[in-house]
Amino acid sequence: MDFDTLRTCALVILLAPLCAAILAGVFGPKLKGHTHWVTIGGVGTAFAFSVMLFLQVRAGHGAGFPVLIPIYDWLLAGVGKAFRVEFLVDPLTAIMLMTVTGVALLVVIYSRDYMRDHGACERGYERFFAYLALFVFAMCALVLGGNFLLLYLGWEAVGLCSYLLIGFYYDKPAAAAAAKKAFLVNRVGDFGFGLAILLIYLTFGSIEYQVVFDMVRQGLDANGHALAQGTITAIALLLFCGACGKSAQLPLHVWLPDAMEGPSPVSALIHAATMVTAGIYMIARCGAIFTASPTAMMVVAIVGATTAIFAASIALVQTDMKRILAYSTISQLGYMVLGIGVYAADSAVFHLFTHAFFKALLFLGAGSVMHAMGGIIDVRHFGGLRKVLPWTFATFLLGSLALAGVPGLSGFFSKDEIIHHALTAHPVFGAVGLVTALLTAFYTFRMVFLAFAGDEKIPEGVHAHESGGWMLFPLLVLSVGAIGAGYLGVGAKPFHHFLEPVFANTFMAANPVHGGHGAAHPSFWQAYGLMVVSGGLAALGIFAAYLLYVKQPWIAGLAKASWPGAHKAAGHKWYVDEAYDAGLVEPAKKAGRVCVGLDDYLIDGLVWLVTAVPRGLGYLLRTAQGGAVQGYGLTMVIGITVIMLVVLWNSA
Amino acid sequence: MMDFLVHNFAIREDSWILTMIIFLPAVGALMIMLPSRAANRSAGATALLCSSVTFVLTCTAMVAFYIHAPVDEFGSADYLLRHYIPWITTGETVLLDATTYPTIDIAYRVGVDGISIWLLMLSALLMPIAILSSFTGIRKRQREYYALLLLLQTGLMGVFCSLDLLLFYVFFEFTLIPLFFIVGIWGGPNRRKAANKLFIFTLAGSVLTFAGVVFLAYWSGKHLGYVTLNIQELVYLGQRGYIPTSVQIWVFLAFAAGFSVKVPLFPVHTWLPLAHTEAPTAGSVIIAGVLLKLGTYGFCRLGLAILPIAAVKLGPIFAVLAIIGIIYAALAAWVQTDVKKLVAYSSVSHLGFCMLGLFSMKIAGATGGVLYMINHGLSTGALFLIVGFVYERYHTRDINKIGGLARQMPWLAFFLVFFTLSSIGLPGLNGFVSEFLVLLGTATSGQTTDRLVEGPLGYGYAIPAALGIILGAVYMLWMCQRLLFGPLKEPPNTPDLSAGLTQDLTRREKGILMPLAICCVVLGVYPKPLLHTFEIATRQHILLETVAGYESVVDGGPFDGRPAASAVEDANRESIEVVASDDSSSPPLKRWGTRPPFGPSLERGEVGYDVLPRRGGVLPRRGGDDLDLDGGVDSIVTSFVTRGARHDD
Repeated sequence: MDFDTLRTCALVILLAPLCAAILAGVFGPKLKGHTHWVTIGGVGTAFAFSVMLFLQVRAGHGAGFPVLIPIYDWLLAGVGKAFRVEFLVDPLTAIMLMTVTGVALLVVIYSRDYMRDHGACERGYERFFAYLALFVFAMCALVLGGNFLLLYLGWEAVGLCSYLLIGFYYDKPAAAAAAKKAFLVNRVGDFGFGLAILLIYLTFGSIEYQVVFDMVRQGLDANGHALAQGTITAIALLLFCGACGKSAQLPLHVWLPDAMEGPSPVSALIHAATMVTAGIYMIARCGAIFTASPTAMMVVAIVGATTAIFAASIALVQTDMKRILAYSTISQLGYMVLGIGVYAADSAVFHLFTHAFFKALLFLGAGSVMHAMGGIIDVRHFGGLRKVLPWTFATFLLGSLALAGVPGLSGFFSKDEIIHHALTAHPVFGAVGLVTALLTAFYTFRMVFLAFAGDEKIPEGVHAHESGGWMLFPLLVLSVGAIGAGYLGVGAKPFHHFLEPVFANTFMAANPVHGGHGAAHPSFWQAYGLMVVSGGLAALGIFAAYLLYVKQPWIAGLAKASWPGAHKAAGHKWYVDEAYDAGLVEPAKKAGRVCVGLDDYLIDGLVWLVTAVPRGLGYLLRTAQGGAVQGYGLTMVIGITVIMLVVLWNSA
Repeated sequence: MMDFLVHNFAIREDSWILTMIIFLPAVGALMIMLPSRAANRSAGATALLCSSVTFVLTCTAMVAFYIHAPVDEFGSADYLLRHYIPWITTGETVLLDATTYPTIDIAYRVGVDGISIWLLMLSALLMPIAILSSFTGIRKRQREYYALLLLLQTGLMGVFCSLDLLLFYVFFEFTLIPLFFIVGIWGGPNRRKAANKLFIFTLAGSVLTFAGVVFLAYWSGKHLGYVTLNIQELVYLGQRGYIPTSVQIWVFLAFAAGFSVKVPLFPVHTWLPLAHTEAPTAGSVIIAGVLLKLGTYGFCRLGLAILPIAAVKLGPIFAVLAIIGIIYAALAAWVQTDVKKLVAYSSVSHLGFCMLGLFSMKIAGATGGVLYMINHGLSTGALFLIVGFVYERYHTRDINKIGGLARQMPWLAFFLVFFTLSSIGLPGLNGFVSEFLVLLGTATSGQTTDRLVEGPLGYGYAIPAALGIILGAVYMLWMCQRLLFGPLKEPPNTPDLSAGLTQDLTRREKGILMPLAICCVVLGVYPKPLLHTFEIATRQHILLETVAGYESVVDGGPFDGRPAASAVEDANRESIEVVASDDSSSPPLKRWGTRPPFGPSLERGEVGYDVLPRRGGVLPRRGGDDLDLDGGVDSIVTSFVTRGARHDD
C-alpha cells in the first residue's frame, strides 16, 4: 500500500467523471452525437483507477487500513476547527467504488444507442451524458468521503443527479412531478441525517469517521464523560432516517417507483445498482454507531423486514415492467437493511454487490424491451417476445433467475446468507425473509411470462427489433456477473474475508447471537437445509407464476375477483401516497394559506391600527391649520403667554 | 479610562479609498442629473461606468485589506483603510497626560474589517449587475432612475464602512429615500402602496433606533466624560461590561426595532413581499441582495458587539422569532402564485437562518450568519434577476399562466435550477456552507467551545430550523417545476421581444448571471478565504470579549494556568458590576473577559488598560464616590460642566 498512489487514485476517480461532466455540459452542443465518448472516457478512467485502488487495498490487506487522505480545509467552524475534504479508503470503499464505476461504465455504453432514440427533449443526448458523468462523480464522492459532511455532500449530490435524471423528459408532467417528489422525500430523510451530523458534532466534537467511531467504541463523548445510551440511539436513528430516504425504506419508499419516469439506463444505474444502496453503505460504514445501540439495530431490522415483504406484495400486481422492478428493488434493499439489522453487514454488502449485477441487467433488459416496443413498457400491451428479442430474453431470463433466487446464480447465495442470519437472529425475521423469497420468485416470473411467454403480441404500429451491439454488450457482461458474482461468497468466501477488517470491530464483534465471535459457523444441516428450503421456495414461486400466467390464466382472474379489495389496495400501493397527501401536504398548504392570510389581515391590520393613532391626531390637528393667519397668530400669542407664565412661576 | 479609549480608538487616519468608494456613486448621480442633452441618453451607461469604477476601487480596497489584514490567528484586530474627518466635534477635554481631546467626538470615521469588506464587495458587485439588468426594463425617466440607484449605493456602502454610530445611522436612514422613489415611481401597479408601506415600516423602526443612538451618546457623555459614538469604543465598553445590563437591554431593543424591520424579522416582515413584488427588477435585487443585510449587519455590528449581555439575554426571543419566520415564510411561499412574491417570502425565510446564526453567539454560527448574508445576496439576487427576465418577456409573473419554459429557454432553465439549488443549500454550492455553519452554531451554542461563554441557543433550536430546509426545497422546486417543466404555456402575444430581447437569454443577461453563478460555485467549494477573515473579524469585533480566557493559551493572561472552565465561569457571570476603587493594583472591574483586544502594543499595566477611573480623574461623578452607572437623570451638559470643573482641581 502506497499512500501517494491511493491519493492519486482517489483524486482521479473523483475528478475524471467531474471533468467529463463539465466537458459534456460545455461542449455538448458542439459534440452532439459524440458526447458519449467524453463520458465513456471519464467513467472508464474512473473504473480503471477503481480497479487499481482495489488492487492496492487487496495487496495491503488488513495492514494500515482505513487510510485517511486529507485534501484541503473546506469549512471553518470556529478557532482551529476545520471540516476537511478528506477521503477514507478501506475495503468497503474499494468494493463500492468498483461496483459503482463498473456498472456505470456498462450503463454509459448501453446508453449510447438507447438515448439516440429516447433523448427526446432539447439537447437531450448531451444533457444525459453530462448528468450521468456528474452522477458518477457524486456517487464516488459519497463513497470516498472521509467524514460525515462529505458523505452528506455526496448524498445530496446524488440526489440532485437523480432529480435531474428522473425529470429528464421534463415536458412530461409526470416526470417533472416524480423528480420533485424524489428530491423532497429524500430531503425529509436528509433532515434526519443533517440533525444526526449536528448531534454527532455536539457529542463528539468532530465529524471525522475515525475519530467518532473510536470515541463510540470507547464509550466517551467530547468532554470525556460516558456516552449516554439515549444519545447514541438518537444519532443512529437519525442517521437511519437518512438511509431510509435514500434506500427507499418504509415509510420513505414512495419516491422510487415514481422515479421510473426517468430513462431506463438511469433506472438501472441510479435506482437499482448504485445510488439507492447508499443507505446500506452508510449503515455499514457507521457500524460502530449502530451496533452501540441495540434499539437502533432492532429498528433497522424491523424496518428492513417490513419493507421487504411490503414492497414484494405491491410488486405482485403491478403491470408496468419497470415499476415491478422498482418494487423489487425496494424489497431487495429491505433484505439488505434486514441483513445489517441482524448484524450480517458483510452479507448485506454482498447482496448489494450481486444485486447490482442482476438488477442492472433486468432494468437494462426492460429498457431493451421498451426500446423495441417503441416506449411501451406495460406488460398488458405486449407478450411472447422471446422470439422477437432472443438476446434480450436470454439475458433477462438469467437476471430473473438470479433475482428469484434459483440455486447456482448470484442472487441465491447472497439472499440465502441474509435469510440464514435473520433466522438465527429471530424466527420472525427468517420467516419474513422466506415468504418474501417466495413472493419475489412469483412476481419476477409473472413478469417474465407475461412479457416473453405465450403468443406473440406486439402493439400496433411498432416495429419490434432486437437491440444493437452497444446495448447487448452490457447485457452480456452483466449476465456473466449475475451468474458468477455469487461464487465470490461461497467456499473460502473471498468477498467476506476482504471485508472482514471493516466489520470485525463492529458488526461481527457486537453480534449477540454468536456471542461476539465473528461470523457464524452453521452446521451442515443448517446451511444446506436452508438452501434446500429457499431453493424450493424459488421453484415454487416460479411454478406458481407459470401456472397462473401461462397454463391456467383463469386462476389469476379468479384470485383477482375473489379479493378485489386487496388487489385494488396493492395496485394503489396500499394508499401510502394518498395518506401523505391528505396527512401532510394538504395541511401544510392550508397552513401556508393561513400564514398569508395572517400577513394580509392580522399583521397589516395591527399596523393599520398603530398608524391610526398618528393619523387620528393628524386629523384633529388639521383643523388647527386651516390656513387662517389670524388663527396662527392667536395660537402663538397664547403659547408665548403660557411659556412666560411657566418660566416666571419657576423662577419665583 | 478616557485616556485609554482616546489613545486606542480615536485613531485618525486618512486613507481615502473608502471615502472614494462611498461617494463616487453619489458623484456619478450628480453627473447624471446635470442638465445636459447627452445625459438623458447615456444615463444608463454613465451609471454603469460609475458603479464599475466603484467595483474596481472596491477590488483595490480588498487587495489592500488582504495585504494588511492579520493573517495570523491571533493577529491584530484593527479596522483597516480608515479615514477620519471631524464632524460634530466640539469642546476640549484635557486628558490625564495633558493632551486634549474634543468633548463631543462624533466624526466621519470609516474603516473595514473582515466582515464589512466582503459586504462592501457584495454591494459593489450587485450594483453594476442591477444597473445592467435595467437597460431594457426601464423606459421612463431614466436619468432619475439611475441617479437614484447610485445614491442608494452610496448609502449602502456608507453603512458597511461606518465606524461611527451616528454616521451609520445617517447612511442607514439615507438608503430609504432613493429606495422609496425607486419603488414608488418605477414599480408595478401597486407601487404607491408598496412604497408607503416600505417607508412607514422602516421609518417607524428606525426612529426607535435613533432613540437608542441618542441614548448611547447621552450615556457616554454622562459616564465617560465625553460624548462618543465611536463604534470601536462602544464595543470595548460593551464587551467589558462597562455598559450596564439594563442600559444594554433598552438600547438593544431600540436598535432591534429598526434592524428587525430591515431584516425583516417576523412579524414586521409584511412590507417586504409587497415591496419586492412592486419594485422594478433592479430594486428587488438591491433590496434582497444588500438592503436586507443592513438589518442583519446592524444586529451583528451593533447589537451583538456593543450589547453582548442584552444579546445573550434576549437571544432566545429573537431566535424564536427567526425560527417562526423561517417556517412561516416558507409555508407562505409555498402557496404563492406570483413568482416574485414567492422569492420574496423565501428571503424572509432565509434571513431567519442568518439571524439564528448570529444569535448563536458562537464563531461558527456568526461566521455562518455573515456568510449567509453574502450567499443570500448572490443567489436571491440572481433569482430576482431571472424572474425579472421572465417578466420582461411575458409581462406576467403568475405561475399559473406560464410554464414549460425549459424547452424554449434552456439557458434560463439552467440558471434558474442552478440558483434554486444554491438557495436550497445543495452541498458544493454556497448556500450549504452558510446553512450548515448556522445550524452547527445554533446546535453548539450552549457549549463552551472556542473558549466562548455559552450562547443562548441549543440543539432544540436547530431542529425546527432544519425543518425550514425541507420546506425551502419544497417551494423552490415547486416553482421550478411549474415554470420550467411540463408542456409549454405562454400568455397570448408573448414573448414580447420588442425591447431587443431574444427568446432565450441574451448575451447581456447571461453575462449578468454568469459571475454570480461562478461566485456561488467558488464559495461552495472553497469558502475558506472568506470564512477565515470572518472568523478573525468575528472573534475580534463581534464576539470579542465573550471570548474568555484566550490568554491562558495565548499571552499568559490572568487565566494562565487556570483551567478553562473557571475562566468561563468568571466570564459567564451575569451581573457585571462596575465598582470604582482606589486601589489601582487590583482590577476593580469584573468583566466578561480579560484579553486586551486592541493590538499587541498595549500590554497589561500600561496606561489605559485596566487603569481605574481615578478619583478626581476625568470620569464624572455624581453624589458619592462610586461610579453610578445606572444613576439618575443627569444632563449631558451638566456632566460636561462638572467634569471641566473637576479636572481643574
